[in-house]
Order: sequence, then structure tokens, then C-alpha cells
Amino acid sequence: MIISISWRNIWRNKVRSLVIIAAITIGIFAGVFTWAFYRGMVNQRVQTAIATESSHIQIHAEKYRENPDQKFFIKNIDSIAAIILETEGVKAVSGRIMVNAMITSAETGAGVKINAIDPEMEKQVTNTHTKLTAGDYFAGDKKTPLLIGEKLAEKLSVKLRSRVVLTFQAMDGTLTTGLFRVGGIYKTANSMIDETNVFMKSSDAVKLIGISPDAGHELAVMLMDNDAERLNLVTGRLKAAFPGLDVAAWREIMPEVSIVEESMDLMMYVFMGVILAALIFGIINTMLMAVLERVKELGMLMAVGMNKSRVFRMIMLETVFLTFTGGVFGVGAGYLISLVFYHKGIDLSRWADAYEKLGYDTIVYPVIEFDIAWQVAIMVLVTGVLAAVYPAMKAIRLKPADSLRIDM
Amino acid sequence: MLSFQLAWRSLWRNPKRTMITVAAVFLAVLLSTFMSSLQEGTYVKMIDNMVKFYSGYIQVHHPDYWASKSINDTYIPEDSVFKSIGSVGEIILAVPRLESFTLISSGEETRGCALIGIDPVLEDQLTGLSKWVEQGTYLVPGDKGVLLAVNLAKNLGVSTGDTLVLISQGYHGESASALMPVRGILKFPSPQLNGFGAYIDIAGAGEFFGAAGRVTSVALLVKDYHLVKTASRKLQIALGNNYSVKTWDEMQPELVSMIEGDRAGAVIMKGVLYMVVGFGILGTIIMMMAERRKEMGIMVAVGMQKYRLQGILFFESLLIGMLGVLVGTVISIPVIIMLVNNPVPLPESMAEAYESFGFEPMIFFSMIPRVFLNQAITVFGMTLLIAVYPLWGIWKMDAIRAIRS
Amino acid sequence: MKVIEIRNLVKDYTDSAIQVRAVNQVDLIIEEGEFTAVVGPSGSGKTTLLNLLGGLDLPTGGEIFINNIRLNDLTATGLIDFRLYNIGFVFQAYNLIPVLTAGENVEFIMELQGKPRSERRKRSHELLESVGLADRIDSRPSKLSGGQQQRVAVARALASRPRFILADEPTANLDSVSAQNLLDIMEKLNHDEKITFIFSTHDVRVVRKARRVITLEDGRVVSDVRQV
Repeated sequence: MIISISWRNIWRNKVRSLVIIAAITIGIFAGVFTWAFYRGMVNQRVQTAIATESSHIQIHAEKYRENPDQKFFIKNIDSIAAIILETEGVKAVSGRIMVNAMITSAETGAGVKINAIDPEMEKQVTNTHTKLTAGDYFAGDKKTPLLIGEKLAEKLSVKLRSRVVLTFQAMDGTLTTGLFRVGGIYKTANSMIDETNVFMKSSDAVKLIGISPDAGHELAVMLMDNDAERLNLVTGRLKAAFPGLDVAAWREIMPEVSIVEESMDLMMYVFMGVILAALIFGIINTMLMAVLERVKELGMLMAVGMNKSRVFRMIMLETVFLTFTGGVFGVGAGYLISLVFYHKGIDLSRWADAYEKLGYDTIVYPVIEFDIAWQVAIMVLVTGVLAAVYPAMKAIRLKPADSLRIDM
Repeated sequence: MLSFQLAWRSLWRNPKRTMITVAAVFLAVLLSTFMSSLQEGTYVKMIDNMVKFYSGYIQVHHPDYWASKSINDTYIPEDSVFKSIGSVGEIILAVPRLESFTLISSGEETRGCALIGIDPVLEDQLTGLSKWVEQGTYLVPGDKGVLLAVNLAKNLGVSTGDTLVLISQGYHGESASALMPVRGILKFPSPQLNGFGAYIDIAGAGEFFGAAGRVTSVALLVKDYHLVKTASRKLQIALGNNYSVKTWDEMQPELVSMIEGDRAGAVIMKGVLYMVVGFGILGTIIMMMAERRKEMGIMVAVGMQKYRLQGILFFESLLIGMLGVLVGTVISIPVIIMLVNNPVPLPESMAEAYESFGFEPMIFFSMIPRVFLNQAITVFGMTLLIAVYPLWGIWKMDAIRAIRS
Repeated sequence: MKVIEIRNLVKDYTDSAIQVRAVNQVDLIIEEGEFTAVVGPSGSGKTTLLNLLGGLDLPTGGEIFINNIRLNDLTATGLIDFRLYNIGFVFQAYNLIPVLTAGENVEFIMELQGKPRSERRKRSHELLESVGLADRIDSRPSKLSGGQQQRVAVARALASRPRFILADEPTANLDSVSAQNLLDIMEKLNHDEKITFIFSTHDVRVVRKARRVITLEDGRVVSDVRQV
């Protein structure tokens, strides 16, 4: 019955209760929505990074990641790729030969990384082929075409069909050069990538570098979707299938992106905390008024036999109900609105410049996930309980004799 | 004037109620200042970290250097350059560098990398390079040895004491070649950096590239991030057209984008906070009005003009606003100072990740005046806005009903 | 059978640095089935005495036994429990919990005692019937007249099967008809069920109905009269 009494007590002063519930609802809604918004943004950054840079999983020879030297290559890369493709959850695989080289044009030179690929396979794994600003992605039968980034093209002062020379160390140690023509120019969000990565056909690389045609340095694996569970599952399976190789998921490959994700969550906790701190004051205030107005009634309750712990519980429940009602509406509203915008997207083109450079799409899709909802719910609950303490203590400190004393 | 005095007195007739309302304002100031300080501090620290890593806040180049990155676009930093740099008070460190792409080999192995000529002492002050020395020793001024990034060393199969052959294209096409011993091995926190370069003493670099006394850039450290724009402007004026002065945001636009994105988000969050605390203040004002309905009804019934009453209430709100903002600011100052001097350590999992990048694993705060001023003004403005509610309430009030309530 | 026994009861207060002896050496015995009024002007110690009788306060000196249990020995928590099981209260006002219906108000006491739902329901119905309000069992106090509220209060006071009911100015806020009604019901309960009633009152109507009148002045009993 105390539960029933507590709940009904909230509605005794409708205006007052509604004001505080409204405040809580708005605050929580804002917090939840902002969280979903940020998560959407970060998720996109992650997806973009995965799509353009690292893919979901990368496989290398054991020592390669620590020391990216061409001598650490993977053997039988084609058969390995075939096995991976059979694995459930895998959408596409692409094998690459990677060698450090110096590229020179008529004007100047620079250090680059050669990515030798099978264009058809690569297309399924990364989206670089959609980012061309000139030329094509290894279409046609041109001799030794090279795909370079726009930043690099600028630096080297070259354009389509220009000649460039690549100098590198072949597998047997000899210094080798190869003549290439710029067949395409690409531009991604990350100009550093554009400046240091060039792409060629693996057939050309095999000839020049003297590497065996079924060897490579990197296998990039793209999964069906971005589900974390699936990622773990497939990574585990691949690790088990290829114990001699280094199988790493994107978090290991791009720790800086992983940090962004975690920082964001931390930031949101702090933000929610600040909002709740702001609200707790209002809640305590409201409940204090509720208690002080009822001095005589509380006196009566204690006189007829309601002990202190019951009175404490009653006030505590009232506070928690009040807070939680606002919280439920806030989370609900946050959920709903986030969902709506998840389907519609929020257009940020006004701030387009900044975001585009970073690879963020100018349209953000807030992502509302269950863990946001229940974590916020818990924070709200804790806030309610904390807020209840002071008013409840005030209530039990009353002496029934005092509060009922007849006013003569 | 009378209204003002009445307002002041009426506030203190019920100190508890007044204190509660003041507390709402005070809390608003405190929380928004906290958040502002946090956002600003994080932002500045992030830039600081990125910038100290290599590029510095400002760099001075030959006008063509940035586009070409060629050894030919170097300059001799004469006294006039250093004098100009010195004339800009905000600059606290000038670090010269001479760098270009070089092939390094040992035995059968050859690798290409960036060879960076540095002033060991100054460079260390900027980037703390010496702390990454894993094997051997750091360079001393005039050193003839090479500091090699660990992966380069591994690939070349060398360690401290071994000899390297260096070949490059020098100044104005002269070929550059030399034999140098490995002085030490550098291990950086992030794998990508571990293969990128080698450091030698700048005098030695000058000799090697045939560009004695020349630099590709002078990297500058500024006292405080907020002074960068002023400093670079002053410097460009002092240096004239023979030199190009580039700031960190021009040199690393990705960084800027990353931070801009953050900024926009931060603004939204602050907006939300203001809304919530605004509601808190509104709540206390509403309750205050409700409590005093009877007494206000009596005042009007007895003969006080409504506008007089509104005046009194407005002054009350004004006073509460001023008091709350004052107390809030006064209290937040020591709190923020304490936080600035004692940054909050990050939780375990994040701390590791940060440290692996060479960043300090802590949350930083800022105490530039803007952090306090903006919040004080905004909250005060908000209070004034909210003060309209009581005015409207009185305007609508029916005195007789109010007395009965 | 003795319901209440008081020996040498003394209660002191400090009222703005002055020591006040509100109850001064009172001896009193109240038996089962009494219908007793305690009267006296303000300052007579009437309120204080009733607080002590009702276990709402503890004496400074002397002893108080209710049903042979020595109240002095109880802690504050113990007192609350004691009241729950042994004393029924009807106050001048604020008797009922505004958010509960009449029936729920009566059930409330039984719930505090931990009685099962079926028993509560049944007894609540019975009690409200005995005060003539069975048809208002689902009404909230705001829908009841002053007199009806007081009657519900009586029903509620009976719910815990107390040793006695302490009624503090129960008729003060009522018009004459309601007051008479209330007193008649209380009298009937006293007569039929032998329920002990102790009133604190200024109301002449109550005094007339009482069979024993105790008068207090300056903390002492100055007269103790039995009447018919």
C-alpha cells in the first residue's frame, strides 16, 4: 500500500509535479538524443574508415604489422582467400601485395606505399573505386597503369597519362625501377592516405617485384554487416583456421578510430551526469516542498503507527516515481525522435566543409541502441534515489507530538 | 528607487526561499562553467598533443617549400629571421630542421625514408624526441651519428654502432652520400611512425645535402594555443614576402576538421545544459510565485498598482540573478583552478590507449576568461528572460481569487 | 481492568530557556470501558498529558503503564510499534490520508500490522458499517463531509483493535448535527463493544456525554468527577 500511496501522492499537486517531470523529460530526452546523434556520427566515421581504409579484418604474416617489410609475405594467398570466402558472414576478400617505394616525376619525388591489387576483388572490399576524380579504375588494357591520390598528383605535378617512375627493392634485394603512367587519380577524405598510397595491378607488381604470384602481404576481409558479434565470431574462426598468420580486426588495425569511439561514450557519460546534476536540485526542491506541506499529515501517520523506516520509504518512493516518470518519458521521446531521424537523417550541410574533410557524410543518422537506454535509465534511477535522501530525512525527523499539537 | 529597496527587503523576508532560487542560478553557472572549461581544456590539449608531436604551432618555410617539399626550396635562416621570430613575444621556441627523402642501406638491404636534420637540444624541447630512444643514446650537438626508427633498423638489420650508407639528391642536384654510424634506435608508440624516418644532427645534414646552414623549416612553439593566430600574423609582417609562415591548421587540415566537428557538438551540448538549468530556475520562480500569491493579492487589493508590483518582482529577479551569478562565478574559480592544476585521470581502458599514443591519460580543463565570462553572461541573461514570467503572472492575476487561495 | 495507570507523572519542557513543568505529579487510573473527558484551559497541561497517554511522548519523571506495559522502557521505535497495536487515534483534523479512499484508510492500519488482504477487506467493511458509512467505502476524504471524515477516523481507530481510543478535540470542526452524530456513534461503540474512549475537549456536548470528567490546571488534576 505504501507503493500506492507514494504514487498517488505525486499527483496531489499536479502543476508542481508536472513542472519537474517536464524538466526531467526534456533533460533526459536531450541527453539521449545527443548520445544517439554522436553515436551515429562516430559509427559513420568508423564505417567510412572500414570501407576506405582497413576493412573489417586484415590478415598478415605474423611479423608484418609490427614491421611492414615486404619480406614478411603470406604464401598461397589465393587458396587462403578462397577459404575465407567460404566462411559464414564474409562478403568479400581482397589480397594485396605491398611494397615501399620512391615515386619520381619530372619535378620531384616522394616516398609511397605500393598497393598491388586485383581490381575486381578490391572493388568489393574498398570503395576507392568510387572516389576517382580523373581517369578510371584499371579499366581497359593500358600498360602498367598507376592509380595515385590527388594530393600526390599535386605534389608531383602530374596529371592523367603523365609518366612516373617507381623505384623499390625487389624481393631478391636488387634495386628495381618501373615505368608507369597515371591511369587514374582518386581523392578520399584522408589526404594523408591520398599522398602516400598508389595502386597498381598485381600482375604488374608480380613481374616487377619478383614475388611469387600466389603470395601477398595483406588480405582484407569485408563482412556482410557491421555487427560486432559477427565480427568477433568471424575473427575467431579465421584465427583458428590460420594459426600461423596474424588475424586482426579493425580495432587493432586502427586504434586511433577505436579511441574516438570510446572517448565519445565517456564524453556522453559526463554530459548526462551534468544534466542530472542540474536536475537533481529541482527534484530535491520539489520533494522538500511536498514534505513540508504535509507536516501535519506525516505527524498523524507516525502517531497512528507508521514507523520511521516506512515513512522514509514512502518519501523515497515518491521521489523515485517522480524522477522515473520523467526519465521514462525522456528516454521514450529520445528513442522515438532518434528513430525518426535514423530513417530521415539530419542534414548538416551548413557545416559541410568541416565534416566532409573528415569523411563524415553531411547527413548524420542518429543511432539509438538499447545500451544507451538502459544506462540512462540507471543513471536516472540513481539520481532519484540520491535526491530522495534529504527530503526523506527531513520527513522522519518530524516528531508527531510536535506536529499535531493543538493550536490554541 | 523605492521599488529596488522593497525588492531587496522582500527577498530577505524569507531567506530560505530566496536562497533556493539563488542556488538554482548558482548551480546553472557552476555546471555550465564546468562544462565549458572541460570542453575548452580538452580541445586545447588535443591540439597541443598533435602539434607538439612534430609540426609545432607555426613553421617558417621558403615560399615554395610546402608545395614541393624539395631540398631546393630551403633557406638560410639569417639573423634577421631569428630576430623577427624573437620580436614576436608569444613565440617561446624555434626549432630548425633540414629534411629530405633519402635512401639508407646496410649490407644488402636498402630502405627509403625521411632523413631529418635536427638541433638535438631544441628538438627535444619541442617534441621530447629523446624519450623515445630505446637503444643507444640520443644525439648530441655536432653528432655524426644517426637515430633510426626501430622498424627501419630491423629491416636494415642494424643496431647501435653499425654503419649506414646514406644516398640522396642534394641541394641543386648535387648527389649526396655519406657513411654514418647508428647512434641509437627510436621506438615510437604507434607502429606507423616506427618506419618513417631517421634523425641526424642538422650541421651534419647540411654537410650531407650540400646545404650547409640551410633549413627546410623552422618550427615554432607558442606560449598558448590561443596566441597562434596573433603570433603568425605578427611574424609574417616581420618577415615580409621572402618567407612563408604556415600555422598548424594550414599544415594539418584533417586535424582542424576533426576538431571543428567536435566544436559543433560541444555547442549543442552546452545548449542542452542551458535549457535544463533554465528550467530549474524557472521551476523555482514558479514555486515562489505560487507561494506568494496570497500576499501579492493582498498588496494589489490594498491599493498597490500592478506595475509597481511588477517592478518590485523584476528587481527581485535581477538581484537574484546577480547574486547567483556572482556566487556561482566566485565559487567556480577556485574549483576550476584546482581542476586545471590537477587534471582528472582517465579510466583504465582509455588510459592505456592514450598512453600508447604518447598522450597523457588525463582530462584537462581550461581557465581562460571566456570560460567564466560567457557562462556568467548567458545565465544572467537567461534569468532576466525568465523574470518575464512573474511579470506576466501579476498582469493576469485576479486579486480576490489570489487572496482566497 | 486497568487500561492505563500513571504514577507520579512529571513532564518538563524548556520553552525559550525557561523550564516549564507541564505535568506535575499526576496519578491516574483509567479502567476498561470508560467514557472519559479530560478538560482544562490552555496551559493546563492537557495536551501534554494526552501526548503522554497516547505514547506520543515519554515522561521526564514517574511511570506510565498501558495494559501493564511500562512505556518508560520503550525506545522511540518501540513507541511507534506500541501505538500501532494498542492505541487508536481520532484527531481534530488531518485524520485521513487524502489519497486513499475511506475503505483504504481503514485498511491502512491493518496493513501496517501485516494483516492479510482478505481480513483487511472484511473488517474494513464491518467497521465502516458500524459507523454508518458502508456506502462510502470507495470515496476519498475530499468527497466526504467533515462529520463523515471523523466517522471514518473512528472506524480507522478501531481497526487495530486498540486498548483505548484517544480522541483529541474530535468535534471541534463540526456543526452541531454532525457532532451529535459522531458522539452518538462513539457512545454506542462504548456501550455495545466496551471500547474505552478518552477525550480531550472544550466542547460542552462532549463533556455532557462523558461519564467521567478529569479537570487539569497548572499540570495537576484538580477535579475527577464521575457523572451519569
